[in-house]
Amino acid sequence: MELQKRLLAGTPGRLMVTLIMLALAIVMVMPFLWMISTSLKTPTEVFKYPIEWIPAHPTWEHHLKVWTGPKSFGTYYLNSLKIALIGMAGATFLSAFAAYGFARIEFKGRNALFMLYLSMMMIPPQVLFVPKFIMFEWAGIYNTHLALILPGLFTIFGVFMLRQFFLSIPHEISESAFIDGAGHFRIFFRLILPLAKPALATLAIIDFSWQWNDYENALVFLIDERLYTIPLGLQNFILENTVDYNGMMAAASAGIIPMIVVFAIGQRYIIQGLTNSAVKG
Amino acid sequence: MNNHWMRRQRGLGYVFIGPSMIGVLLFFLIPAAYSLGLVFTDYKFMNPKVGFVGLDNITRMLHDKLFYLSLKNTVLFLVAVPLSIALGFVVAVILNQRIYLKKLLRALYFMPYITSGVAVAFVWMLLFQPKQGPINGFLRGIGIEHPPGWLSTTASSMFAIDIIWIWFLMGYNMIIYLAALQEVSPELLEAAKIDGARAGQLLRKIIWPLVSPTTFLLLVTGMIMTIKTFGIIQATTQGGPGNSTTILSLYVYQNAFRYYDMGYAATISWALFIIILIITVIQWIGQKRWVHY
Repeated sequence: MELQKRLLAGTPGRLMVTLIMLALAIVMVMPFLWMISTSLKTPTEVFKYPIEWIPAHPTWEHHLKVWTGPKSFGTYYLNSLKIALIGMAGATFLSAFAAYGFARIEFKGRNALFMLYLSMMMIPPQVLFVPKFIMFEWAGIYNTHLALILPGLFTIFGVFMLRQFFLSIPHEISESAFIDGAGHFRIFFRLILPLAKPALATLAIIDFSWQWNDYENALVFLIDERLYTIPLGLQNFILENTVDYNGMMAAASAGIIPMIVVFAIGQRYIIQGLTNSAVKG
Repeated sequence: MNNHWMRRQRGLGYVFIGPSMIGVLLFFLIPAAYSLGLVFTDYKFMNPKVGFVGLDNITRMLHDKLFYLSLKNTVLFLVAVPLSIALGFVVAVILNQRIYLKKLLRALYFMPYITSGVAVAFVWMLLFQPKQGPINGFLRGIGIEHPPGWLSTTASSMFAIDIIWIWFLMGYNMIIYLAALQEVSPELLEAAKIDGARAGQLLRKIIWPLVSPTTFLLLVTGMIMTIKTFGIIQATTQGGPGNSTTILSLYVYQNAFRYYDMGYAATISWALFIIILIITVIQWIGQKRWVHY
């Protein structure tokens, strides 16, 4: 009786708060909605006010322009996918490998090395741009995808995050395997990696989104238009089509919509991974 | 035998961290040392003559008006961090109540953080369009006759960048606060309620101090991240109009890859490092002193 009263009394309040928060959330995602809506409009409708959220004369012409023709986004897409996928797979595996060493093997100098490792996070990428540019030029990988892929294989955040996770796995698990005669390699591949699947998925998704969105490195290390990733292709498109607002938004959609899909699928992992590394770090 | 086996297994530690260490060496340590060396040279791209110039670059930086302007702009950029933290806290506290559609709301607020890149900067560029853009259209609609020029005037451009950045960071702060709020024990809140604490007091005197480690962490990591970034500015204003959005990290990029003045760029990049170092040191001291556990 008492409980029922409280629930009933609470409902209008809960509903009110929900509605207010929903309205604000819609304001938050409005740039995305505006982007999609504009990409489907005709040029004269772009800046009509009040905004027509659902275009009166929807057209796919701008998306077609972005995806076909001499500077199709198809190339940029493949480039971005290639870099992000290789980077993601490599970074996830190498991070797990190093994180295992840091978390589960006691060797001399481990803590000092780990501190050195973490201190690298303090170095801003700007410090590294010029020397990397010179080194890559010298090594012949400047203006190739390798200039993005190779450094992308190493993520300090990834090692840090997975180390936290590996530390939380009970030590008895590997001890009993040890007694059975298993070495660290077998324990890593057979025991720890399978247990760490959720954490690996988290890192993989976060790393993918970083690589996909990376603009600054691509800006510094790529010149050739054929090698452009989505962010650079987008910038190029905008420089060459300064008044084609519909086209710009169709191009922006090409960059953003895949991330929205990845986010929708991997939301749980992303949120878990970010909170674990922040709160427990 | 067992002892020997154990010792060999320990040695494997180096094998496990080895590949990663090579990466750190090649892409962090060696370039960082190289960059430090460049500070004392007049290295320019494509110019074969490289001279040792001692402290000239540092003196030049300390007399460079644009350096100070970009330092000031960096501070203006950093203002976005505490604001996004405050907003993130408020949203997290509300989402932590018993309301409907929690998961959907959380996802919507968080979306800008994960999907954002330059692509979204271009969207904002059009939204902020001063003459016809939808934001000013709305402002005129509600009776503001002279809405700001946003990214197009020197007075408002940094402010507009801050709005984009708050929009971007807010969801992340909210997510981290939501996790921290789960750790606040419900018994404590119940006890406070019985004592007759009002919602405002509860928030100010109990919840806010309890999440202070999180606030501190968000402040520090948010500031470091903000200092390192320049993508959204390069994409929207390229530092303009009239250098009004040239922040330090962008100034490094411009010197290096627009003017190919790489020795000088390296010098400014180390100024950037010093700022990050100061923030990190404050974090070390602060964690012990100012945070209530």
